Amino acid sequence: MIGALILAPLGVWAWNGGLSKIRYQEVGEKSGVRVTHHTRRFNGKSADVLRMFTSGGAAVAVGDYDNDGLDDVFVTDSDKGKLNHLFHNDGNFNFTDVAAKAGVAEGNDPLSIVADALWFDYDNDGKQDLLIGRFGTPILYHNEGDGKFKPVDPKVSGLNKFGNTISAVAFDYDNDGYLDLMFGNYFKPENLLDLKTPHVLPNDLDNAINGGGVTLWRNNGGMSFTEVTEKAGFGKHTGWTLDIGHGDLNNDGLQDVYLACDYGTDRIYFNNGNGTFRDATEAAIGIDTKKGMNTDIADYDNDGLLDIYVTNITDEYMKECNMLWHNNGDGTFTDLSKETGTCATLWGWAAKFGDFDNDGWQDIFVVNGLRSASKDNYIPVLVNMITTPGIDFTDVRNWPNIGEMTWSGYQKKKLFRNLGTQAFKEISAEAGVDNDLDGRGLGVGDFDNDGRLDIFQTNADQPMLLYRSQTEGAGNWVQLKLTGAFGSGAGKSNRDAIGARVTLKTSSGQTLIREVEGGNGYSGQSSKRLHFGIGQAAKIESAEVRWPSGKVEKISVPVNRISLVTEGQGLKK
Amino acid sequence: MKKLIGCLAIAGLAAGAAFAASGEADYQAGMKALATKDYSNALGKLESALSAEPDNIRFGSEYRQAVIQAKEYDRSIKFFEKLTADNQNASSAFLNYGFAYVDKIPASGAITQVILANTALSFFTKSIEIKPSWIALYTRGNSYLYWPKVFGRAHLGVADLERAMAIQKADGAKKGYHSRAFVSLGDGYWKMENIEKAKAIWKEGLSLFPDNPGLKARLSKDGDDLKAYIDDVLDPNKRVDTNLIEIWTN
Repeated sequence: MIGALILAPLGVWAWNGGLSKIRYQEVGEKSGVRVTHHTRRFNGKSADVLRMFTSGGAAVAVGDYDNDGLDDVFVTDSDKGKLNHLFHNDGNFNFTDVAAKAGVAEGNDPLSIVADALWFDYDNDGKQDLLIGRFGTPILYHNEGDGKFKPVDPKVSGLNKFGNTISAVAFDYDNDGYLDLMFGNYFKPENLLDLKTPHVLPNDLDNAINGGGVTLWRNNGGMSFTEVTEKAGFGKHTGWTLDIGHGDLNNDGLQDVYLACDYGTDRIYFNNGNGTFRDATEAAIGIDTKKGMNTDIADYDNDGLLDIYVTNITDEYMKECNMLWHNNGDGTFTDLSKETGTCATLWGWAAKFGDFDNDGWQDIFVVNGLRSASKDNYIPVLVNMITTPGIDFTDVRNWPNIGEMTWSGYQKKKLFRNLGTQAFKEISAEAGVDNDLDGRGLGVGDFDNDGRLDIFQTNADQPMLLYRSQTEGAGNWVQLKLTGAFGSGAGKSNRDAIGARVTLKTSSGQTLIREVEGGNGYSGQSSKRLHFGIGQAAKIESAEVRWPSGKVEKISVPVNRISLVTEGQGLKK
Repeated sequence: MKKLIGCLAIAGLAAGAAFAASGEADYQAGMKALATKDYSNALGKLESALSAEPDNIRFGSEYRQAVIQAKEYDRSIKFFEKLTADNQNASSAFLNYGFAYVDKIPASGAITQVILANTALSFFTKSIEIKPSWIALYTRGNSYLYWPKVFGRAHLGVADLERAMAIQKADGAKKGYHSRAFVSLGDGYWKMENIEKAKAIWKEGLSLFPDNPGLKARLSKDGDDLKAYIDDVLDPNKRVDTNLIEIWTN
């Protein structure tokens, strides 16, 4: 198992500085992952509108479920009876769908829609368990360790509450060593497949307050979960949550939360350290009216503070602009998307930070596009409805059918290269990732362990794409797989080390931080292995891990290697 | 003597009544309060002035500028709703009612902006129905140009602006604000992808208003540069200057 990790390339790469060229080759077909997603089809008069409103469930989760040192990929489907996919990474960019054999293919039953997926080790047994988020009740699969998974009885897990869950993250909000769960819920908890009321849509298209909010579930010692939403301070949030991001935004060792919400303001919550959070939205970022779709968190300007990237809608008919929240270090953030050139990505969905050329600066890849169909445009039809005096937006019967019309379709993806000067350059075409599919989720990982980040893109009602990095002249790199020592007596960090922060100082003078995260980014979980591009630096001068337990550990880190780090034990030799 | 005093008193009362009916005193008091940022008093006085003279375009415009400063957009909309209901032939009141919605646009979300803009158009239309003045036609025509191409409203804007242009040409007297029609009509043709016509109109405008920066800027650009410039001018997130001061100062 560990052998595969150690077999990573050893040589120090010849780095070309700013001359490196980010290049990707799409290899989905050849790699065996070219499956097509299907949005849920509804019955009845409002079928068309409900299908349109639920067309977001094409998700990807990257994780090494069999601990062989290669990241595997779980991909959701959403239509009734359609099966999910678990792509086992066989090496050399060959994948085999083992979902049925592993027992994780199902979930799209007549009254539930699969919408998200998440790898996390909820019982700290060292194996990746799988959570399926649904418009319904979630499914928790326990990893049995023999390539098979066993669904955990909801009566046992406690995860038996209905929700229209579109996003899920795992993090240890109370630092007790067990991973907790937060669900982002789009609609309020009405089953759309068994509609009791037509009033299920947003009550306002800029300031809606009738969405599903979030739910927070505390892990009870790896056995079950208890809902603590109200107690933790999230009960008042009733927005249309599309994505959740977590991270230590104020450097106090506690995991904070950012919620990206459709039809109204995003929310930011700081962790009080006593099992509760405080809503700091007004002071930290202000109230907005945008259509928040994605939250990814990283330190894009290497100032030691985590920043936040949120996609919104910036199209011909709506000029919202994304938000690149620069962390001011005083509990407030300033949106620098316009100044940095990362504002306009059309109808944005997932966006992921990643150092795609290993130059020490985190780039951003954004997918977009709602629905690509005929030449007829849905927007004028929709606006006729929106501008009807006194119209009740909540009533699904008032919304016009989209039929075969296009709505923000055929949109080119955006890859922003970080120039390291508070500026980004859009290079999607030259990088080979400017596809125009209806993107939803992104999973980033190094699938062939070559030190360059690859990208898995999901699309709604369309085939998946897998981009293999062909970047030439990329910089040197470091990858770290962290393991918390829960139960070993050496610490109490969760085994996945979610929330751990690594700070590297390179020989070229850069200081880089990364945190292990549990599912940030819309419809996509990236690898939990930390990836650092370090440019021309030949060595790491110092490295420090701040574990969720609070323990701070100095480690010695080799360059151009994937290294395993266990809490209290340093690097695995 | 008594009779004289009586006559003076009556004359005085009549003058006072006329002053009150004209709304000028309340207008002056409102503007004075506004200068000291006493918004509550300013808005109250200006509303009184407008109630006395509903069709006074100046009072309406100054009231809305005060509303923008005070950020009391909903108060303004509510006030004009009642004013127009009570004065259904007041063309300028309907014009200012439409502008009250436009004034709220930058303070609103992207979809609410569409609703506000569309509502504004309906009141501009009402104003034109009552009296097809240059200002009403120019206003509605220019408003159509803020709608993205996908809605296909540019040709409606061009039609209104052509009518406004005809009015100003028939008027004979050159007024500073007439340059606006050249700018907007050209923009309308540009949005309809008739670049040649657009440039001809901007050139005609520049010949009459050689110092107009908007016309100069448009004529100095082409292609993507011109698009970026006009897109920026017609950005709905930017506050549109709806102060109608040029109408009574020109």
